[in-house]
Amino acid sequence: MRVFQFCSSASLEKLTGRKAHNLDELLELVKTCSSSSIFYHTFSAFRKLREVQTPYTNDFAVWIARDLNEEALAEKLLAIDLAEYNTIESLRARILQILEDYRSENPPLFERTAAEPFYLYSLVRFVYLTDKFAYNLSSFRQLLDTISTDSIYYHFIESRLQTQLQTDDFSNWMQENPDYQELAEKIRKIDMNIHTLEELRVRIGETIDKYL
Amino acid sequence: MSIPRLSDYKDVVGRDVVGELYTLASHVGNRSIKMVNSTAVGGGVAEMLHRVVPLLNELGIETRWEVIKGGADFFDVTKAFHNALQGKEEYFEQEVFKTYLAYNEMNYQEMSFDEDLIVIHDPQPAALIKWQKKRKNKWVWRCHIDMSHPNQQVWDFLRPYVELYDAAIFSSPLFSPQLKIPQYRFYPAIDPLADKNRELDEDYIDSVLQKYEIPRDKPIVTQISRYDPWKDPVGVIKAFKMAQRHVDCRLLMVGDKAADDPEAEEILTQVKEAAGDDPDIKIIFLTHSIPTEINAFQRASDIVLQKSIREGFALTVSEALWKYRPVIGGAVGGIPAQIIHGYTGMLVHSAEGASLQIRSLLQQSELAKRLGENGHQRVKDEFLITKLLKRYLLLLLALDHPGKSTVLLD
Repeated sequence: MRVFQFCSSASLEKLTGRKAHNLDELLELVKTCSSSSIFYHTFSAFRKLREVQTPYTNDFAVWIARDLNEEALAEKLLAIDLAEYNTIESLRARILQILEDYRSENPPLFERTAAEPFYLYSLVRFVYLTDKFAYNLSSFRQLLDTISTDSIYYHFIESRLQTQLQTDDFSNWMQENPDYQELAEKIRKIDMNIHTLEELRVRIGETIDKYL
Repeated sequence: MSIPRLSDYKDVVGRDVVGELYTLASHVGNRSIKMVNSTAVGGGVAEMLHRVVPLLNELGIETRWEVIKGGADFFDVTKAFHNALQGKEEYFEQEVFKTYLAYNEMNYQEMSFDEDLIVIHDPQPAALIKWQKKRKNKWVWRCHIDMSHPNQQVWDFLRPYVELYDAAIFSSPLFSPQLKIPQYRFYPAIDPLADKNRELDEDYIDSVLQKYEIPRDKPIVTQISRYDPWKDPVGVIKAFKMAQRHVDCRLLMVGDKAADDPEAEEILTQVKEAAGDDPDIKIIFLTHSIPTEINAFQRASDIVLQKSIREGFALTVSEALWKYRPVIGGAVGGIPAQIIHGYTGMLVHSAEGASLQIRSLLQQSELAKRLGENGHQRVKDEFLITKLLKRYLLLLLALDHPGKSTVLLD
């Protein structure tokens, strides 16, 4: 089993000066904005919204529900499971598809002015190594209690954009050991959409404990 | 109480959060920052710098803070600029701009700017960069005020200087003008270990309420805000009176007035008239508030209101959320950034809406508790001084990698 060095990530938010006053304008923003803007309003938003137990997985859905009262469209967007996307472009395509399908059914709705505009952000994202190394499952388990929630978020959710895998880093690492195939499968099945990061930490820890 | 050190924050924000700051600081390396503003005391910016500067130094970022000097004529000009940039209509003679530039040049000549990053706070020293012809370091303008509708004459004058900077920082996209340089968003932050926010003994909270003759026999609904029409104190009383028909509770209004605000007395009279002789409404007018007492009022409250109809960032919301209070806030300015409606508090648009939420939260203790807990988490994630320190570390790294959206640090 290779050594697992824990990483973490952090973001600095940037203002773009671009905004949408209605759904047509939002559609245009989603089509033309940078991938870091899509990342900010989906992966980065998910990390924050999940911690305060909202059902929202992205900022687009929050705005559509709050400022346009268009709950049905918001629901379609919040049903997007980020775990299924390992590239920003595939995620952008999915959001566009939902918006365009909805527009074809409700064209006038897309011209309705929202209570407040949607402000487009982007970000600078930093991925960095920490000084924590796991040499085996036992040391991994000990370190799990000490790493930051940012680190949990990075390995369990965000890193799939780096690895292009449809899985988290933890189960991917465990899978390297023939004895931990079942454990890896159980870790992979933990639903990141349901738990806060602290709850994820607990669930992952409890799952590993059964194999130590 | 001694000045808190970074290690003291481990108990309130978590060991991992402080550890993360040290890890990031190690990636930043030996760097230096100079903060420049126009006042050493009074106001939120000075209050924040007093805390951020020593903590950045603890992280190994050599940080200095200098205050620009000026005569009364300079500060008269900058005060007028401040109001104009926040939207006040006023015409300025050319002399005014000359005074502003003369003092900026004088300060530039007396100061040195050798640090890796120069952070200039607010409009008063914004033109210092005019005389820095060649530079190897980075200059960033941190604007703490709402510049969404600036007076065009002042902005046309200031903008060319602002666009000489490497970047600008605003508290919200609502407050930022169009600029040619990159713009970052830094939320303002509260200090969880400051007197206004730290944990208090129940005995002390009781003593403060006794001092102001506020019985704790009923749930307490509180708004702590300046007596200013934009904070809608009369609307708060209206909302309370509507709610009172359904739930037995007390209203506590605590506020001071801006020193230069002749309207405050008038507003206070209106508030007293609206309250009438209702024994359940307590109006406290402070000329000088004591932070621990404000803290005690917030902690003694069952609900905290910030029913503003126009607002800056309103960090009073974060202060209350940090104390696990359910907060009802007007959906204006920076309040929706802190309150996600229904999850970290309740947003309202009218006195009627506020009244309904008071009734709802006083009668649904589980909901109120959940909002308080989520609100606390929201503040922990975004609006604490530890997050502000992190943003400064990330800013140093971002300026090293201009134009990059993802940076892999070795």
